[in-house]
Amino acid sequence: MTRAEKLRKDALALAFTLPAMIPMTLFWFIPLGYVVYLSFTAWDFMSPEKTFVGLENYRYLFESPAFYEAVGVTLLFCAGSVLPTMAGGLALALLLNRAMKGASVYRTLMFLPWVTPTVAVSIVWSWIFEPDVGLANTVLQAIGLDAVGWLQDPQWALPGVLVVTIWKSIGWAMVFYLVALQNVPAELLEAAELDGASGMDKLRRITLPLLSPTTFFLFIVQTIGALQAYDQINVLTQGGPSGSTRTLLYMYYQSAFESFNIGEASSVAVVLIISCLLLSLASSFVSRRSVHY
Amino acid sequence: MHTTRKMRAWDRAGTALRHAILLAIALAMAFPFYWMATSALKTNDEIWSFPPVLWPDSPQWGQYAEAWVEAPFWRYMANSAGVALAIVLLQVINSAMMAYAVTHMNFRLQRLFSGAILLGFMIPATAVYLPGYVVLSKLQLLDSYAGLIVSNMVSVFAIFLARQAFLQVSHELIEAGQIDGASHGRILWTILVPLTRPTFAVMALITFIDQYNNYFWPSLITKSPELQLVSAGLRSFFVEGGAYGLKWPLIMAASAFTIAPLLLLFLLTQRTIMNSFNLSAGAAKG
Repeated sequence: MTRAEKLRKDALALAFTLPAMIPMTLFWFIPLGYVVYLSFTAWDFMSPEKTFVGLENYRYLFESPAFYEAVGVTLLFCAGSVLPTMAGGLALALLLNRAMKGASVYRTLMFLPWVTPTVAVSIVWSWIFEPDVGLANTVLQAIGLDAVGWLQDPQWALPGVLVVTIWKSIGWAMVFYLVALQNVPAELLEAAELDGASGMDKLRRITLPLLSPTTFFLFIVQTIGALQAYDQINVLTQGGPSGSTRTLLYMYYQSAFESFNIGEASSVAVVLIISCLLLSLASSFVSRRSVHY
Repeated sequence: MHTTRKMRAWDRAGTALRHAILLAIALAMAFPFYWMATSALKTNDEIWSFPPVLWPDSPQWGQYAEAWVEAPFWRYMANSAGVALAIVLLQVINSAMMAYAVTHMNFRLQRLFSGAILLGFMIPATAVYLPGYVVLSKLQLLDSYAGLIVSNMVSVFAIFLARQAFLQVSHELIEAGQIDGASHGRILWTILVPLTRPTFAVMALITFIDQYNNYFWPSLITKSPELQLVSAGLRSFFVEGGAYGLKWPLIMAASAFTIAPLLLLFLLTQRTIMNSFNLSAGAAKG
């Protein structure tokens, strides 16, 4: 191949990447660099000048109690949504993974919440959480418990948001596990049965280890999703009451688009980006080393 | 003989128990939808009665019509559907071309591009909304359909799906096409894409649902009421028209007709959506 031919080939291939690369550069890569730059400045969106302040935003952030509160809420939100979603999804998949009548109906009903708009279903849930006559408190009182101030009480607001989040994604995790369960070789389970393994043994020694790539994948995807949860928080609590549902992402949104403190918002964004990068890196590292097939 | 009969009885009891548990959970999961649809039919007295009524005495069907005209829901839904369709179309085109370049066209920098896709995968989209907003304002595209569409027109997930599909197609097939004198564009659109149609069906459907439901980003960049997507429109109806929960029946009616098209779409395309799990399960294997 001559040099000219080679060049022509490269140019043609580059042309094929442009329709994706141009928007990706404009809306991913430039903003990525830009947000890092903005985190070193003080700016309010309006004024023409951005003042360079070095690490001042970060110093301020790492000294502010609101930041650590948001970190705490974020960790609680991630753990409180991801772990129940995965455990529940796995349990449902194990229950459903069997030839039986009606399995597809159950699956459809449990999967429905995932397809629906988060905003609309969060509005429905805010009616369910209505303190006086809402369904949630009615059920609590019917089984002899006290009504709680879902969404109004700082102690209960986060659990309320978590209920909606788990409800919305549990069916999704379930279907993922169902697909993975179908790939567990039946011969392996039969062989174990012949060797006298109990149902629990088979689950612990064969099924769960074989599911570990799926578990790991779900964990990473769900955690990155949880770090970015916005819709349900915005509809149900707007980060309140008194910051009890203000995650890092919500804090970022408020300082950027409500108080126009661009520098501070950008430094929060950088913290979020680094967290996600670390998660992704950890995922490729761990999946190479300890996820067994 | 005796033991097998006993075991069979146990089995049957186990199956019955399994059904009971699954049915209870499935109904509980679907109950909020029932609650929404019936709350929309209740009178003001019924909605505030305690304990709540399961089914209203005289269903107020008219409240659905009343909610429908209280805000331009028709417009919101058309906005969402139109923007989502445009994005689907663009994503199918650019992800197919990008995936083709990195899988079947040997060129320098190929690895760099694969790396760029991977990097895009790792960046949380929401974290770059602020700088993205500034970029969009520099391009004078705030508060426009064009801004909504171009800023969402590329999806790393879509590229990834297309790439996975194209990797399954053998190089020989592509080379045969080249020997016959077909151009890359022809090979891509008349051989590769038709061969991997299931992947593109899944991609189109998932993207459509995602974009139709999209809220955070659109609510930042389209502020004019007539440009709002359905989620943002519903949310402003909830806050203003519904006076923050004083008109629950109307709010529930509005939520119901926002959700209904998606439930319908899902029931019609269930098979394709479920297939998406088989495709993205590939990602679990790295």
